[in-house]
Amino acid sequence: MINELLYVSSKYGLLLLEGLRTTFIITIASYAIGFAGGLCIAIARVFFHKILKVFAGVYVELFRGTPMLVQLFFVYYALPEIGIRVDPVTASIIAIGLNSAAYQAEYIRSALSSIPYSEIEAAYSLGLTKLNILIYIMLPQAIRIAIPTLTNEAIYLFKYSSIAYFVTASELMYVGKLIATRTFLYVEVYVLLALLYILFSIVLSEIARYIEGKLQIPGYVT
Amino acid sequence: MLKEELLIVEDLWKFIDGKPVLKGITFDVSRGETKVILGPSGAGKSTLLRCINLLVVPDRGRIIFDGEDVLKRRDIHNVRSKMGFVFQHFNLFSHMTALENVMLGLVKVKKMPKHEAEKKAKEALMAVGIAEELWNRYPAQLSGGQQQRVAIARALAMEPKLILFDEPTSALDPELIWEVLNVMERLAKAKMTMIVVTHEIGFAMRVASEVMFLDDGMILERGPPEQVILNPCNERVKRFMDRMKYVYSLDTG
Repeated sequence: MINELLYVSSKYGLLLLEGLRTTFIITIASYAIGFAGGLCIAIARVFFHKILKVFAGVYVELFRGTPMLVQLFFVYYALPEIGIRVDPVTASIIAIGLNSAAYQAEYIRSALSSIPYSEIEAAYSLGLTKLNILIYIMLPQAIRIAIPTLTNEAIYLFKYSSIAYFVTASELMYVGKLIATRTFLYVEVYVLLALLYILFSIVLSEIARYIEGKLQIPGYVT
Repeated sequence: MLKEELLIVEDLWKFIDGKPVLKGITFDVSRGETKVILGPSGAGKSTLLRCINLLVVPDRGRIIFDGEDVLKRRDIHNVRSKMGFVFQHFNLFSHMTALENVMLGLVKVKKMPKHEAEKKAKEALMAVGIAEELWNRYPAQLSGGQQQRVAIARALAMEPKLILFDEPTSALDPELIWEVLNVMERLAKAKMTMIVVTHEIGFAMRVASEVMFLDDGMILERGPPEQVILNPCNERVKRFMDRMKYVYSLDTG
């Protein structure tokens, strides 16, 4: 087992690293889309008028209510039908990003609504506008509250970016499968993949823990 | 010459869930005056204060502040920036230091340059007795009395024409109550115009130019503190004050 692991890593190490790189690209890009989209949707749901609220609600239900794989296939296979052709990695980024936006929206929304109204009222009483209250009072606190769940989402995306395998994006899972079929060392290759996923998941959660500590409000216990 | 009345409230009504909470409140506040509002919980005192700066929008009536009809103004945030509000539970921004709490309104509402706002904020903090070593503490690191004084500084720094106090000492223990009342008394002496909702009848006796007793959304009695607190005419007010005097062991001879 150990020998085979070493063999795979030395012979296919570079290939695996390339796969890992693509996995990272998909994770980071889709997380960024998810965060930006999620933020907008959450703000719309908490803060704006009916039409926008309904639209945001429909979006969340739609993307939460259908499997991510279906969404990915839709982007990759259905969009070309209407003339939008995207490569596998881009398709994965779009699909996973749009899906993640729905989840991140909910995390940020619940954080936004957990901010005591008393502080918002105080901000109004000073003469702050709605937008300023959002920027200076609500978001800084909401993001702090949401960090643990947003971290969860990042780790989740890192692992579930592996569904890009189904549209032949050459990320870690895809590369692993390739090596496994070539060497017939299925168990060893997948063990190696699992180790890589675990390693970077831990790194991610450590980074998040560091950020959380940095942003901690002194004396504040939630 | 400025008109003497800073605030005129006329026939103010507010319904919440179809029930009237304020039933035609009418009163005015002169410049430099300290008006104290007494009354039981649920009388509508907080709602009345919140209506004045439109944190709660009244259903009927007029509010004339500094010569302008507040309800007709589209830019309500500008009106609010001229009225301070001090809350029962302080409502400091928990992610900002004491100094930042006071600076926020100056920078974002009054568009003051940062260094100027900082100077102004520090002056306001000094004025309420918050010493330098507390300026960079977060609300959770301050005592209740300190938090409330920072909240007063936050209101004060904006140079408001009127400050509304909503039971500012009800969440504090007696020693801290003293701290806060002391600051408020100094403000009153300095001729700040204030409307104070409180249960501190001692404070009302010393500072109030007029006391209004509110119950069930109506003003039951109003007048100088000696009258309303010590010799009320209205039966309901009399009953309330008798109990207050018992609680505070105020000897009326």
